[in-house]
Amino acid sequence: MRIRLRGGRVLDPTNRENAVARDVEFVDGRVVAPTGERADAEYELGGAIVMAGGIDLHSHIAGGKMNLARLLMQEDRRAYPEKILPGMSGSFCGCGGGRAVPTAHATGCRYAELGYTTVFEPAMLGSNARSAHLEMADIPNLDTGAYLVLGNDDFILRLIARGAPQEEINAYVGWMLKATQAFAIKIVNPGGINAFKFNARKLDLDEANPHYEVTPRTVLTTLIRAVTELGVPHPIHLHGCNLGVPGNDETTLATIAATEGRRLHLTHLQFHSYGTEGDRRFSSSAARIAAMVNANPNISVDVGQVMFGQTVTASADYMSQYRNRGLANPKKSIGMDIELDAGCGVVPFEYRDKNFVNALQWAIGLELFLLVEDPWRIFLTTDHPNGGPFTTYPHLIRLLMDRDFRNAQLATLNKTAQAHTLLGGITREYSLEEIAILTRAAPARILGLADKGHLAPGAVADIAVHDENADREAMFSKAKLVFKDGRLIVRDGEVVDLAPGTTHVVRTEFDTAIEGKLDAWFDRTVGLKAKHFRIADGELRGGRGPTVLTCVGGAS
Amino acid sequence: MSSETSAGAPLIVKDVVCGFCGLGCDDLVVEVAGREVRPKASVCPEAARLLRRLEPAGEAGPVTDEVYDQARRLLDVARAPVFAGLGADIEGGRAILDLAIRHGGVLDHAASDGLFANYAAVQRTGWLSTTLAEVRNHCDVLLVIGEDPAAAFGRFFERALPAEALFAASRHVIVLGGSLGASARRQLGGATVTELAADDPVAALAALCQMVSGPAPRGASFGGAAAEALAEAAAALKGAAYAVAVWNAGSLDRADLIAERATRLVDALNVTTRAGVFPLGGRDNVIGINQLLLWRLGYPLRTAIRGEASEHDASLYATGAALKDADLLVWVSAFRPEPPPAFDGPVIVIGHPDTEFATPPDVFIPVGTPGVDHAGTVFRMDSIVSLPLGALRVATLPSVAEAVRRLEPVR
Ligand code: SF4
Ligand SMILES: [Zn+2]
Repeated sequence: MRIRLRGGRVLDPTNRENAVARDVEFVDGRVVAPTGERADAEYELGGAIVMAGGIDLHSHIAGGKMNLARLLMQEDRRAYPEKILPGMSGSFCGCGGGRAVPTAHATGCRYAELGYTTVFEPAMLGSNARSAHLEMADIPNLDTGAYLVLGNDDFILRLIARGAPQEEINAYVGWMLKATQAFAIKIVNPGGINAFKFNARKLDLDEANPHYEVTPRTVLTTLIRAVTELGVPHPIHLHGCNLGVPGNDETTLATIAATEGRRLHLTHLQFHSYGTEGDRRFSSSAARIAAMVNANPNISVDVGQVMFGQTVTASADYMSQYRNRGLANPKKSIGMDIELDAGCGVVPFEYRDKNFVNALQWAIGLELFLLVEDPWRIFLTTDHPNGGPFTTYPHLIRLLMDRDFRNAQLATLNKTAQAHTLLGGITREYSLEEIAILTRAAPARILGLADKGHLAPGAVADIAVHDENADREAMFSKAKLVFKDGRLIVRDGEVVDLAPGTTHVVRTEFDTAIEGKLDAWFDRTVGLKAKHFRIADGELRGGRGPTVLTCVGGAS
Repeated sequence: MSSETSAGAPLIVKDVVCGFCGLGCDDLVVEVAGREVRPKASVCPEAARLLRRLEPAGEAGPVTDEVYDQARRLLDVARAPVFAGLGADIEGGRAILDLAIRHGGVLDHAASDGLFANYAAVQRTGWLSTTLAEVRNHCDVLLVIGEDPAAAFGRFFERALPAEALFAASRHVIVLGGSLGASARRQLGGATVTELAADDPVAALAALCQMVSGPAPRGASFGGAAAEALAEAAAALKGAAYAVAVWNAGSLDRADLIAERATRLVDALNVTTRAGVFPLGGRDNVIGINQLLLWRLGYPLRTAIRGEASEHDASLYATGAALKDADLLVWVSAFRPEPPPAFDGPVIVIGHPDTEFATPPDVFIPVGTPGVDHAGTVFRMDSIVSLPLGALRVATLPSVAEAVRRLEPVR
């Protein structure tokens, strides 16, 4: 099946094409060099922008904590009922609904309408991995993958505490990546979730875990070394210590310094950029932190922008979520210690523009976006749903691209917050090309997905077409056309088909001598046998199995 | 463990995963000889009964196309079907959900009463909970509310409070409003057990909760439990490094109130120490089917699909209530031979081959048992861990998923 898109303008930063007028052609789900051959279908684009499908590298779309959030926030589901899809010839697919925690189908459909075709779940617990994969199998129109949460599990803390050699740590990480069918390693509050189980209420970067006496710094550097040596393309994806705590700016700066030049991704940086200046003892440290990010090319970040309105926060960071549960709105929350593995906390939240803290959080996120200079090292996220649902991305894009619009929004916020942000004085506006970098080219690069995020021959035919519109929110709210693996799934902002996605996983080499130890650990301590913990390829995507990226181990 | 025998030679299969009660034991040993299955070791009485296959000769065989046709006709004319029982693995659940989406109808599980009693508490305030491996290794004081957990979850104490723990220095079990049987005591070995009789566990628990969170209420006894004994229990809970509260909402009167008070108790304990609720339940994959509905429909069980939308109501769409307005009952029970509830209208049963019926259903499609006849996924009671069931023998009957997919319209 040969499909040709005619008369579009190609925006492909990976291949340095900035709105280049040319045809795009794909055959059986892969981009090919344009030919003169007869196509099975042709689309006349009339100058519309053609990009690779969007890639979200941090969005909570599957797993137990999302189901807990759905259970807790039935009001979200009721307020956003099933969307009728006229393009689906009226056929009801049981697609569910919801906004802050949409159902699997709604997740796939809403993302597709925005032109996204690949999304990574950034906090999969090993103990919950099978469930997360079952759920991902039911997400249509998106390729997915998941980052495995490590660093709070008692197995690794025991290894570190007894000074196990790095090779043994690496073997464990390699085994876990394979067993849980994961794509990268995430650390959430390094060792802090574990410390909470021993009744510690906070854990700073150099504070020892009350039981293991291991510090977050050691957990972090040990795991950075592990993924580096195993050759996992994506660096450690870190949700740092002290999330949301005023004064955590110092922790964040110290964390960057702790990498000593090794690669590290700091996620939802906005929640980790808080100073303690001013009467309210809450201030923006975005400028300091952005300067440090700019000066350290080994660091990449995503923002976790706060967007006003009702949402629900769901995180493995039970320690922090427990601390924040008093802020729950509506007043209810769930917390859970999980399986000698990690934890989870679900706290509904309403970000209000007239609230000083919330307004400043909004401004801090935008400051980070605008002050971090290299668009290849910063990613567009709201930490869905924690800062706000992903469906707010078009609005966020306009805030970045349109200074007048941004300042007009700023002027409506809490007055004190306005006085505490540099935002009004920042003149930068993102270009379309930069948005394309943030939302597809750069994520593909940092994830090591060579055939995604661009439109050169050989690329996966995940393609989003948007009509040019000076109102960037309108432009990005509804894709004109979206193709998934070469199949048309969205037309004029409406889902017209459901395509099955795949799930990306990585495989590394590892020393299998670890298996005997893991067998004993799971059987005797966890109470579940390692072989039943392990997920077979056939359990993914309804038997179709994963898409495997084989890692080539390197020196540290 | 997936292992099949083709010939008649007995084969010992180890590490069999059990999907019956929701506790998720995965170390069972069974002997398989041809079509016969005999539980051998690490098996509780419930699992032994449900795994055993001794006279396979008399087993019901697969039904003919005509039977499926008849079921399809009943579904086609039904305006308000109820899909209940729902004792199926995840794949079976997916197939039933797709069927319900096509025909409309109410979805509920046979074991959902306890779940919704607990949800009354969760959805109002949320709760702080924990999972099995945490209980095994952290829990030093376990509060049991109501009956002996080993009654419905045979190996509970062996699994939750083994003698060896990574962190718990000692084990103390406090039973409020119940007593432990011989099996529980045997499993507990050297743990300390305190039994606190209470004729009104809700009142006793409320008092205990108050004693933990603030000044003790005035009175000599609460709900039939002596104030002094309750105060001792409160002190033990507050002194615990990691206290856990368990109850089986499916077997308790006023379970919603128990859940609500246990939640408050654990909230209060977490102010100074660590604690979690560990609600017992999860028979026949009720948790897995509930999880599936949550990610597919956004609602838990007891949800109706009508037109092009779904709607959840924990009382209106409970099986009993929903059947009052139904014109077809589709009853699914693959794990055990459980007959459908009485119903005036037509009944389709997709169930265990040994099911005995007071009134024969209009259509009976016998299906294999997940974990005996075919592989499948089930969830553990904590809703976090799910397990791969294996097949022990060659299936002669379809799985629920296979049977239900055959009910899709012929294209
Ligand atoms: S206690 Fe439950 S899971 Fe364990 S063997 Fe018995 S029925 Fe199976
Ligand atoms: Zn996140």
